[in-house]
Amino acid sequence: MNIGHNPELLDRLAASYALGTLRGGARRRLEAYARQSATVRTSLLLWQERMHAMIELPMPIQPSPNVWKRIENTLTMELETLRNSKAAIKTESLAQKLLLHARQAMAWWRGAALAGAVATVAAVLVGVQQGNTLKSEVGQLSAKLQSAQGEVTQAALAVKQAEAAAQQAAQQLQYVAVLSDDKSAASVLVTVDTSKNRMTLQRVGAYQEAGDKSLQLWALPAGGKPQSLGVLSGDKVIRLAADASRVKALPTLAVSLEPKGGVSEDTGPTGPVLFKGALLQTAL
Amino acid sequence: MTTPTLDDNLIALIERVALQDTVAMRALYDATSSKLYAVAMRVVSNTTHAEDVLQDAYLNIWRIAGDYRASLSPPMAWMGVVVRSRALDFLRKRSSEKSLAAADIDDTIGETLQGDSPDPMDASDASEQAWALHECLRKIEAQPRQVLTLAYFKDLSHGELAEQLKLPLGTVKTWIRRSLEQLRSCMARFA
Repeated sequence: MNIGHNPELLDRLAASYALGTLRGGARRRLEAYARQSATVRTSLLLWQERMHAMIELPMPIQPSPNVWKRIENTLTMELETLRNSKAAIKTESLAQKLLLHARQAMAWWRGAALAGAVATVAAVLVGVQQGNTLKSEVGQLSAKLQSAQGEVTQAALAVKQAEAAAQQAAQQLQYVAVLSDDKSAASVLVTVDTSKNRMTLQRVGAYQEAGDKSLQLWALPAGGKPQSLGVLSGDKVIRLAADASRVKALPTLAVSLEPKGGVSEDTGPTGPVLFKGALLQTAL
Repeated sequence: MTTPTLDDNLIALIERVALQDTVAMRALYDATSSKLYAVAMRVVSNTTHAEDVLQDAYLNIWRIAGDYRASLSPPMAWMGVVVRSRALDFLRKRSSEKSLAAADIDDTIGETLQGDSPDPMDASDASEQAWALHECLRKIEAQPRQVLTLAYFKDLSHGELAEQLKLPLGTVKTWIRRSLEQLRSCMARFA
């Protein structure tokens, strides 16, 4: 039976639906009809509105003044909480900014440790430890900052200091490798700045190749042929172009002794491998 | 037509409340609390409980005022529905926590059924719909009418009405059916 075609029955059902006395299966069936039929839906909505008018009928009664006082107290508390949480979010973002700057400063410290004369693998470990100490200091500082809400000026000062440190760390090192000889003595430091597509090599050991020889840098991809990254000049600091997308896939770097001017990539390294080391991402 | 200025005033207040304007909230409360308190009283039948419901309902209005415009309802009807549903929630929660304080209810229903005249109403600010309903309810015999309004305010089934009013189920069903029939034919004339 389609109740949409029986206005009398629909009106009766809609009235008891709106009153609330239509219950159980009958109520659910009517609701299901309403979802399918606009006629049924209209009838239910009309009767709901008619019944809800009952709300306007009772004679007004004045509630106790305490009701408004309680409402007002709750609103005041809610608004205060809202303001505090906004301030907290502000402080937190400030602390995060500080942390970010501090991390950039740490990158600089680590780079400095690597580039220094103390160029052994151990130096890297010391650098990491320094980094950890600094990290925990920063953690403590940011925790303090979060607890000390309202001390925004202090935080701003700290951010300025961190910014100054960050400026020094402008050249961010993203990949580093310490290439060591067979006695684990560091001989070449490699840093890769992927944002500038630049690789910087620094000779830190005493090794000096003969005049008719050249050092050549290779990448050793896992399970692949060595790829030539370039030939090292005799200078202390050598800059080579480095394709950022390629560098990411290179786990190990090696330096081989080759005839003057190096060999072609197709040939591959011909001389002995003098130094090698893993390329590490400076994930701070 | 309803008095446009009154509804417009309430709508403007609700919109300011949506922007967390506490001054507007106070004005809205002053303009509507006595009507809404009467609604809460009709549902929960207890001064303390009705005050709790009223407080809860206004705080809810404060939070959902931004949704008002989409409801397409007159402001009093919208707020009244909020109060009624909060009050009904309150009753359901209480009845699930402990069995209803039967003595309370009996007293109230006794009072409700004793009242012989339909609810007097302030017609000046009532909506067209409320005026029609009031006129139609007036034509229904006192007892069936009061069972009808009780069913609406407390959202009671035939069985619950019979139990709470200590009336035979058949009587409740007959009264409800008859008063609904009268209401239907009367309301049809206002449509």
